[in-house]
Amino acid sequence: MSYNLLSMPILELRNLKKYFATQKAVDDISLTIEKGQIFGLLGPNGAGKTTLIRMITGIFYPDEGEILFDGKKFDPRSDISHIGYMPEERGLYKKMKIGEQTLYLAQLKGLNKNEATEKIKEWFQRFDMNSWWNKKVEDLSKGMSQKLQFVTTVLHDPKLIILDEPFSGLDPVNTNLIKDEIYNLAKRGSTVIFSTHRMEQVEEICDHIVLVNKGRKILDGTVKRVKQDYKENLFSIGVDQMPANLNGTAPFEILRNEDLSYVVRIKDNNKPNDVLQYLLQKGVNIHSFNEILPSLNDIFIRLVEGTPTARQFQKVN
Amino acid sequence: MSKTTLIIKREYLTRVRKRTFIISTILFPLLYLGLIFGSSYIAAKSGTHLNVAVIDSSGFFDRGKIERENMKDPDSSSRLTLVNMNPDSLAANFKKEGYDGYVVIPARLKWEDSVGSKLTIFTSRTIGGEGTGPVQSKLNNIWNSIKNEKLGIDENKKMILEKNTIKITPQNINDKTANSDVATGIAYACGILIYIILLLYGSQVMMGVMEEKTNRIAEVIVSSVKPFQLMLGKIIGIGLVALTQFLIWVSFVFIIYNVTSASAGGGAMSQMVANAQKIFMSINVPLILFCFIFYLLGGFFFYASLYAAIGSAVNEDMREAQSLSFPITMLVIISITMMSSAMKDPSGPLAVWASIIPFSSPIMMMARIPFGVPGTVPWWQLAASMATLIAGFMFTTWFAGKIYRTGILMYGKKPTWKEMIKWAFRKS
Repeated sequence: MSYNLLSMPILELRNLKKYFATQKAVDDISLTIEKGQIFGLLGPNGAGKTTLIRMITGIFYPDEGEILFDGKKFDPRSDISHIGYMPEERGLYKKMKIGEQTLYLAQLKGLNKNEATEKIKEWFQRFDMNSWWNKKVEDLSKGMSQKLQFVTTVLHDPKLIILDEPFSGLDPVNTNLIKDEIYNLAKRGSTVIFSTHRMEQVEEICDHIVLVNKGRKILDGTVKRVKQDYKENLFSIGVDQMPANLNGTAPFEILRNEDLSYVVRIKDNNKPNDVLQYLLQKGVNIHSFNEILPSLNDIFIRLVEGTPTARQFQKVN
Repeated sequence: MSKTTLIIKREYLTRVRKRTFIISTILFPLLYLGLIFGSSYIAAKSGTHLNVAVIDSSGFFDRGKIERENMKDPDSSSRLTLVNMNPDSLAANFKKEGYDGYVVIPARLKWEDSVGSKLTIFTSRTIGGEGTGPVQSKLNNIWNSIKNEKLGIDENKKMILEKNTIKITPQNINDKTANSDVATGIAYACGILIYIILLLYGSQVMMGVMEEKTNRIAEVIVSSVKPFQLMLGKIIGIGLVALTQFLIWVSFVFIIYNVTSASAGGGAMSQMVANAQKIFMSINVPLILFCFIFYLLGGFFFYASLYAAIGSAVNEDMREAQSLSFPITMLVIISITMMSSAMKDPSGPLAVWASIIPFSSPIMMMARIPFGVPGTVPWWQLAASMATLIAGFMFTTWFAGKIYRTGILMYGKKPTWKEMIKWAFRKS
């Protein structure tokens, strides 16, 4: 994204800890989020994501560790107005008129009335919500109130936007609308923390991801890097016909045979080129040769395997 | 505008603009008056009517005397009839004969005795003192006239015995204008009004907090403001709603008073206005008004913060909230039950102490102040009461803030009071 800003992190967590009476909700987590990034904060339910976010939004104080916001020690009183937070469990006053409510929430974030009114009109225009001003939230559908919630989160041009499961309950049209806005916000220099356990959305949207489980960070890196690190040397080879008798000298083994293509694993100490060479020597007609990278979902199942929480990922694909 | 002010403004405006606020502001005084007039009307109309048969074995009670007694007060709720039956057959038949009960006057009744006798009224249903009272006084009236005859006491001597009595009324030398009847009435009104406002608006605070928690808007807002600001804003906003409602009522009274005193030409109207004027002259209206507003707000802040703490701790289940708020509601109810004894003896130790201790002072002090300051309530007591109430609500607000901060983001099982107190004293 804005690579000239990359050297300057918007948020740095150093050895953050938060213990509750019965559990270590966040247990020594450090991470760095660069400006303009779309950052994926991933983890199963109960991994400590919400506690981590609540510390970043100033709702909880860390027991130990340090938060740096925009290069300085995080001070909730002043920095809170630069953060927009949309919790997973959305909430708005049901009986309050939408225009009034949006104005109220914007003023709580420190905008004055005129600024706020102008911004609201702008966003309502963009999201085609102009006719909503005098309606009440209870008159809106779930998707509509979700859109409204997103607007109230980003209205004050926060430097850091934290979205907890922003797409849950949205139809594909509105999902795309919000997705585009997330890209736009990042392009204009806002940083987005995107907390979810929906892996396919993460792969699509995020630059950088962190996986937490049981209060600890177990993975940190760019999406590409992570996939490279966890690849299993799998390739999909499109051929007319595999040589009939593959013996032990072949540099790969066939895992699955799909229609006109084979999923193979390259043996240790061999390279993709060795495979091609071998097949060419055998006179095989190759029409495709693709590396299969693991999906984030696969990686996460592998990483949190053995814990009961791993199961919730297996269905998502 | 500060964030707390914004919250206060929202809490206030959303409530004052509601139709229920306008309706309750108009209806409450009407209902209140209706209740007072209605209950006294019903009480006057619904005495227990007893038709009682009397069997006289003593030979003193004759038909003439009984009829004369019945005639004296034909509207009375009870009626005596002399019957000539034996007790056993009357016992079996009195209902069929149209009597509600019967009394047997025994032969052992002697007018010379210097001790009284106990008789029994037999009835087929349970009747209380309301029913037996008139029967007893009728029998006594007849018995008195019989005794008077025997003792040779004529009408004049009878009057000397009955009417020539000594009566005393209280007069506080420190406060000559104090009129204890008027004061009692005003004290009652003040105490009950504070009681109603505390419970009504206290539970509004609790419901407001519960709404924010169950709607999950609390988490959005506490990422903009501190939980304490949110709680304080709500309490102050709702407190101002209560104050607004009260001031509207006061101005109703004021307007009605002025209009009637201006338009009253004569007769009953001017008599009423003169009475009202006399009442207003006999009490210190500005002081009572000032103290009322002070104790209304002080008491409200004291209790509302506790109700807010409970609202933050429970989930959407109203029953959880009720069971957890029971001890708080109990404190308010104890105060109102102590009020009547405080008004019988407004300078007694119970009244003094209960009007200084913060949980009961809003109701108890307001039940004493109409009797006069400094006549009944010395200045030092008023000052001590106000100071402890301020300290009291500062403590409860601090205490509730600690619970609220934890509770508002906590979902799941309802905590106990013990756990909540633990939250309050945990270091942040």
